[in-house]
Amino acid sequence: MSQATELAAAAGSTDPRVGLRAVRALRRLLERLEVVQVDNARRQGWSWQEIADALEVSRQAVHKKHAGRPAVPSTWEA
Amino acid sequence: MFERFTDRAREAVKRARDEARAAGQRPVGTEHLLLAVLADPDNLASRVLRDAGVRAAGLRAAVARHTAEGGAGLAEADAAALREIGIDLAAIVARIEESFGPDALRAAVPAPRRGLRRRQRPGGPFSPRSKKVLELSLREALRLRHRHIGTEHILLGLLREGGGPAALVLTEAGLDLDDLRRRVEAALRAAA
Repeated sequence: MSQATELAAAAGSTDPRVGLRAVRALRRLLERLEVVQVDNARRQGWSWQEIADALEVSRQAVHKKHAGRPAVPSTWEA
Repeated sequence: MFERFTDRAREAVKRARDEARAAGQRPVGTEHLLLAVLADPDNLASRVLRDAGVRAAGLRAAVARHTAEGGAGLAEADAAALREIGIDLAAIVARIEESFGPDALRAAVPAPRRGLRRRQRPGGPFSPRSKKVLELSLREALRLRHRHIGTEHILLGLLREGGGPAALVLTEAGLDLDDLRRRVEAALRAAA
């Protein structure tokens, strides 16, 4: 059992530290999931506008966040 | 602050930055300094750690467990935090890898947020603890009346700081930080 798990179990779920830590972890997970899915969409030929619409953000926002970043190399191909 | 650093110590600091960068644009943490010091097997710090039974590969694996190199590219602590709110990270990793291949989530490193992040880190690329370690390495050199700061002083700084991820993985490996410090000082006396 990891230290963090012990800490969480000991602190109880109403402890803000536990809840906020979970939010932080979730944000990290979200960022990675977004990279995976945006790269997949681009590989499948989606436009930035289409991706932006699916994410309900502006085209500029999604382009700024993902266009400059090198595409994640994937062994998987569509 | 690096004027007094030996070539090897400078090399170690540079390598620590590379280690941090390889881990995804994180600030340079004490764990990166430790791995960087250990990367040169010939320096005094590496020899002392080796004599104390530390294996660089083992420490690297321990650091990876604690930081962002799990199956999802998230740390064990992140997985534990997600479990607390009912999210099974392993299940998510399994589904993503099923569709996108092995390591798909780990390889998906988000781009650093430019500008914003620079404002968040007024102290440069070093974490507060690793800055403290570098300051302590200078203090250790002064205390020992050494004119230069070598990798052994960085190690002494890491041991003196005692609270970061570097100290954690050393302690977990069954080492006593005070005992390690004595070993470094003994090796320094033997080398003098």
